[in-house]
Amino acid sequence: MRERFVIDVGDFSRFNPGPQAPVWWGILGLVVIEATVIMAFIATYFYLRLMAPAWPPEGVEPPPLLLPSISVVLLLGSSMTMQWGSKCIENEQYNRFVVAMFTSVGLACTVLMLRWQQFQELGVPWDEHVYGSIVWTIMGFHFVHLISAAAGTLVVGILGIKRYFNPQQKIGVVVDTLYWNFVSLVWIPLYLVVYWVPRWL
Amino acid sequence: MSQVTANMPESASSAPSEQATAELNRTWASPAGFFGWFTHVNHRKIGFRFIMTSLVFFVLAGVLALLMRLQLITPENSLMGPELFNQLFTMHGTTMMFFFAVPIMEGLGIYLVPLMIGTRDMCFPRLNAFGYYVYLIAGIVLYLSLFLGMAPAAGWFAYVPLANDMFSPGKGMDIWTTMITFIELSALTAAVELIVTIFKQRAPGMSLDRMPLFVWAILVMSFMIVFAMPTVMVGSILLMLDRTLMTQFFVVASGGEPLLWQHLFWFFGHPEVYIIFVPALGVLSAIITTFTHKRLFGYTAMVLSLVAIGFVSFGLWVHHMFTTGLPHLGLSFFTGASAMIAIPSGVQIFCWIASLWGARIRFATPMLFVLGFFAVFVIGGLTGVMVASIPFDMQVHDTYFVVAHFHYVLIGGAVLPLFGGIYYWYPKATGRLMSERLGRWSFALIFIGLNATFFPMHQLGLEGMPRRVYTYLETMGWGNLNLFISLSAFVLALGFGLTFLNMWMSRSRGTPAGPNPWDADSLEWATDSPPANYNFRHIPVVRSGTPLWDDAIANERQFVSGLRNDRREVLVTTLVDAEPQAVVILPQPTIWPVLLAVAVSIGFIGTIFSPWGFWLGFFLSFWMIVGWLWPRRPWQEN
Ligand code: HEM
Ligand SMILES: [Cu+2]
Repeated sequence: MRERFVIDVGDFSRFNPGPQAPVWWGILGLVVIEATVIMAFIATYFYLRLMAPAWPPEGVEPPPLLLPSISVVLLLGSSMTMQWGSKCIENEQYNRFVVAMFTSVGLACTVLMLRWQQFQELGVPWDEHVYGSIVWTIMGFHFVHLISAAAGTLVVGILGIKRYFNPQQKIGVVVDTLYWNFVSLVWIPLYLVVYWVPRWL
Repeated sequence: MSQVTANMPESASSAPSEQATAELNRTWASPAGFFGWFTHVNHRKIGFRFIMTSLVFFVLAGVLALLMRLQLITPENSLMGPELFNQLFTMHGTTMMFFFAVPIMEGLGIYLVPLMIGTRDMCFPRLNAFGYYVYLIAGIVLYLSLFLGMAPAAGWFAYVPLANDMFSPGKGMDIWTTMITFIELSALTAAVELIVTIFKQRAPGMSLDRMPLFVWAILVMSFMIVFAMPTVMVGSILLMLDRTLMTQFFVVASGGEPLLWQHLFWFFGHPEVYIIFVPALGVLSAIITTFTHKRLFGYTAMVLSLVAIGFVSFGLWVHHMFTTGLPHLGLSFFTGASAMIAIPSGVQIFCWIASLWGARIRFATPMLFVLGFFAVFVIGGLTGVMVASIPFDMQVHDTYFVVAHFHYVLIGGAVLPLFGGIYYWYPKATGRLMSERLGRWSFALIFIGLNATFFPMHQLGLEGMPRRVYTYLETMGWGNLNLFISLSAFVLALGFGLTFLNMWMSRSRGTPAGPNPWDADSLEWATDSPPANYNFRHIPVVRSGTPLWDDAIANERQFVSGLRNDRREVLVTTLVDAEPQAVVILPQPTIWPVLLAVAVSIGFIGTIFSPWGFWLGFFLSFWMIVGWLWPRRPWQEN
């Protein structure tokens, strides 16, 4: 049988900073899975609420709005600093990139501290009524994700100090930003569910 | 395809020197030795392990089933008490569903998909290895709990409140919830990996409409895993929290909802059945294509019906809850939806029949299993239509009728195609064919044993024998049928055993197979059996849906050049048309996946004993992930 080479890929770049890299799709898959998990939590919340005679139960006030609203702003801000970081890599401004990463981590840490206070202000323990159980679980779930995203970005920042990234080699930044945006944006629906649904509905 | 230049001078047969081939083989080699074993990342190594490990679990769960049948062989038998019997059916069901059926289908996918789409490995080899260790550890822990006498005992779907700590004290249920979360983690990693590999690493020219149906089936399975498994993870996490941190999700007194568990479980549990069934459909299509030696009738219809099955199966979960007193209108909707799934399934069956019609069929062992599937699955489907109607389900719910029904569907729909697949692909993996004679005996015993074991259970169910009972009174008159069933179960076991024996013996004694013993059409048969470390000496270029047959007609094979031999390079192509797009470098063998799996296990198992276990596991895992992803020098290389 005749055998022929018809395509040559020898001169393709081996750096793939965007959606042509499988890892970009892999992180997208992770985000889809996590989003499904969050949908399941939200569905659980509404199911329990539907079945409950009163929501929140008698004698429990909906949790105060101030801190979580501030968190929304801070998290949106952190998404912007992440975006800015990507721009900096694009323009080879490596010091600014490091600043951007550490600012984002700093914002996330602030949100984590606020979150600690929010837990105190929920006004219900987790082990007395399902209302408390689901609210604590949703908040805790997001809390843990914020820690992971912050820790991951810290490492990206350290690699930035070591000058690992450059315009070709930046897939790590791209996927870290993708995940970060998910974690920070998903707070908005969770915020609406935990803080506004007991007021509106 | 823009990159195709029509007449490149180089000719594939003259170009590669022995030296270059040897270098390529070294680049893709997996380290030898005991410690080397833990560093393997190659998809064929990992896929093979998935398959072998799940076969071990199949045997273990089978032994548990035989023990149950021994207990039920006569009325008022005293071989074991109710506690042990409860543990046995729980472990049997859990193992068969979570530790055998799903992992073995993933294993087949992991082993075969890269070969079928013409690439050298999957896109995230280390994640693959991680998924395997997670699976292995989960299985070992589960079985340790059985041998320590503290196995879970609340059934494979662990209904609350029975599974709450008030009614299931002890660590058994905790182990169940954590290990289920764990195994789903493994399934999810495999699913993402399969999806991305199928999307991005197909050989140039293998556009979506030229993809083998088996690959389509694995793709649909993986998507179903991605959307179904998270809900059972959430369910088991909530149950875990209830049991360890005293949250109140399923405790009625504090506003908890037992039905919430059923919704979360069956939203996963029904698609689960199709997660097992869909890849089996892919196996059937591959075998039928090969043994009729023509392209399947209605390729597009087959693909669409696979996708439709995937979608519709998410709308059926409530039919497992017909007896829970849900509103009537809702129930009718789910009856209708349950009937609707018959349409795409029917399309599949008719396309196969049309393919078999008038074809010259070779009746080798794989084909026998396919025909066995037809017979058994039709019966399982019929009883399925029966239990989908609510008044009938009210009668037979929780009786042996249901046990008969789902074993017909599961064994007929998944295990028979799977065994056909083992006979079919064994020569690719080992280089030798399995014995036809033993294969025929095995098939005959399985077919007879299966029907003799499970058909009479319909009758027992109609006579009112409940499932999950450890014994029954002599006066019920169920003794003879049960005796017959128990004896038949051993015939069935013998049938399975013969195939295992066949696998063992054919390793050294089978007839050498050569690259393409069945004269099949898809790319996995274009390379050596077993394939060399690099799978394909050159990445093939695909020009039709049955590339091997059409290459033979055109008397020409086309390849890609330019991938380096001294590191693990694979070609990335576009999603729909599979045009060459990029080259990526895959990682070398490494120990980090095992370390991460151990760290995650410490977290999960620690959580059973103290909430601090979670944080310990979390931070250990973080360090392992950093170690895993930390870039290795040299940093800049193109
Ligand atoms: C190898 C032959 C098999 C035999 C002899 C067998 C036998 C049994 C028996 C005796 C029970 C307990 C019935 C009861 O007391 O209610 C059972 C339950 C079950 N089997 Fe099998 N089985 C076999 C294969 C399979 C396979 C291949 C699967 C799935 C892929 C499977 C899935 C299940 C499930 C999910 C249950 C329900 C467990 C529960 O009640 O929680 N079995 N089987
Ligand atoms: Cu179902």
